Amino acid sequence: MLRSLIRPFGISSALLLGGCAVQGAPSFSLVGAYFPDWMLCGMIGIAVAVTLRVVFVLTGLDSILSLRLFTYLSLGVITALLAWLIWFGP
Amino acid sequence: MADLVRTVAYEKSLSLHHQPVGLAVAAVCILGAIGLGVYVSRQDSAYPSSDSGSIDAEVVHMASTVGGRLIALPVHVNQAVKKGDVLYRLDPEPYALAVRQAEANLALAAAEVENQKRLLAVKTANAAVAQDQTTRAQTNHDLAARTVERLRPLAGHAYIPWQQYDQARVALNDATVSLAQSHQQASAAQTAIGDLKSSLAAQQAAQAMLDQARYALRQTTVLAPTDGYVTSLRVKEGEILAPSQVLFTLIANDAWYASANIREITLGAITPGDCATVYSMIDRHTPIRGHVESIGWGVASLDSAGLARGLPLVPREMDWVHVAQRFPVRIRLAPADPRLLRLGATATVEIRHGEACH
Repeated sequence: MLRSLIRPFGISSALLLGGCAVQGAPSFSLVGAYFPDWMLCGMIGIAVAVTLRVVFVLTGLDSILSLRLFTYLSLGVITALLAWLIWFGP
Repeated sequence: MADLVRTVAYEKSLSLHHQPVGLAVAAVCILGAIGLGVYVSRQDSAYPSSDSGSIDAEVVHMASTVGGRLIALPVHVNQAVKKGDVLYRLDPEPYALAVRQAEANLALAAAEVENQKRLLAVKTANAAVAQDQTTRAQTNHDLAARTVERLRPLAGHAYIPWQQYDQARVALNDATVSLAQSHQQASAAQTAIGDLKSSLAAQQAAQAMLDQARYALRQTTVLAPTDGYVTSLRVKEGEILAPSQVLFTLIANDAWYASANIREITLGAITPGDCATVYSMIDRHTPIRGHVESIGWGVASLDSAGLARGLPLVPREMDWVHVAQRFPVRIRLAPADPRLLRLGATATVEIRHGEACH
């Protein structure tokens, strides 16, 4: 059910992100240690939340929001989860 | 001041005006995040993966059942060998000498069998002679008995002297004793014939000793039991090895596995035969196809320490959070690039999904 909702978005995202699609193991080597895939997704989520905040403030969209902390937190979480589903999901 | 108040009031009315929109956006975002979170956690449970697996293979600790000096070592460390290749050779001389000794013992035993056969023939002939002696003694006894029978009436009427009759009776007694003796002799001779059993058994024992010596001689040459790689070999020719002393470890190359530790709460989603995508971290871009072969039936835990003898060891604790136990899941890998397959390499395992399972 949710899968069918996500699928079109997933496909378009996959097309958008096709250039930097993650190939290979869901584990990344950094200075001799392996970091898990969800850590990367979490980083992306944080980055997207911060970016969205900056963009919304600049465009004035921020002023119509309320419960801003929860809204940006949720947007970050959604981005992180979607990134995981698209790149590493089953 | 009035401007400021007016501005604040305007802002306030603006934010009050937009509050329902803002709240709706916040609600949608929060509900979306929660829903997606639940969905992702379910997916993660239904399609387990592990990034702390390892590439695994079977090993053979190469040793010979016999000891001796290492005289030939045609393999070197990290070399790939084929099944049946000569791995190393021990000095065969002591074992060849043992074979010669065993051969001589066997020849001795065989000669003893021949000897016993001759003795048997002699004893059989003796028994036949004793049997014939019995017949002769019987005939003599019969004659003596008839003579006594004939002489008794003549002696009664005094036609012959008593002396002659007495002699005939004594002769009959002699013949009776001789007959009994010859019967006993024949029986003893028959018993004395015996058989070849003991010498044949000795021959068989000598044969078994020879086979054993030949087996030990064959064990001085060690062949590769399977295709594989020679590892942890650190000695050269000249080393003296005890029986069963391991010289090196052979990593079997005929089947490779990945072992992934999976939490018990997601074990239910795994059944033997499931497809698995395995990445050897030697090259994290190349997926290796595999399938689940089995799930470990047991792991040692601290709670079961010391159960073998004595009383169970129960620590005093008041833990509220318990970390899930993990069980090793064994995944058999399809043939892959040999450069990726090294025993102990880190492996990332995705069960029932991943690139190799589409």
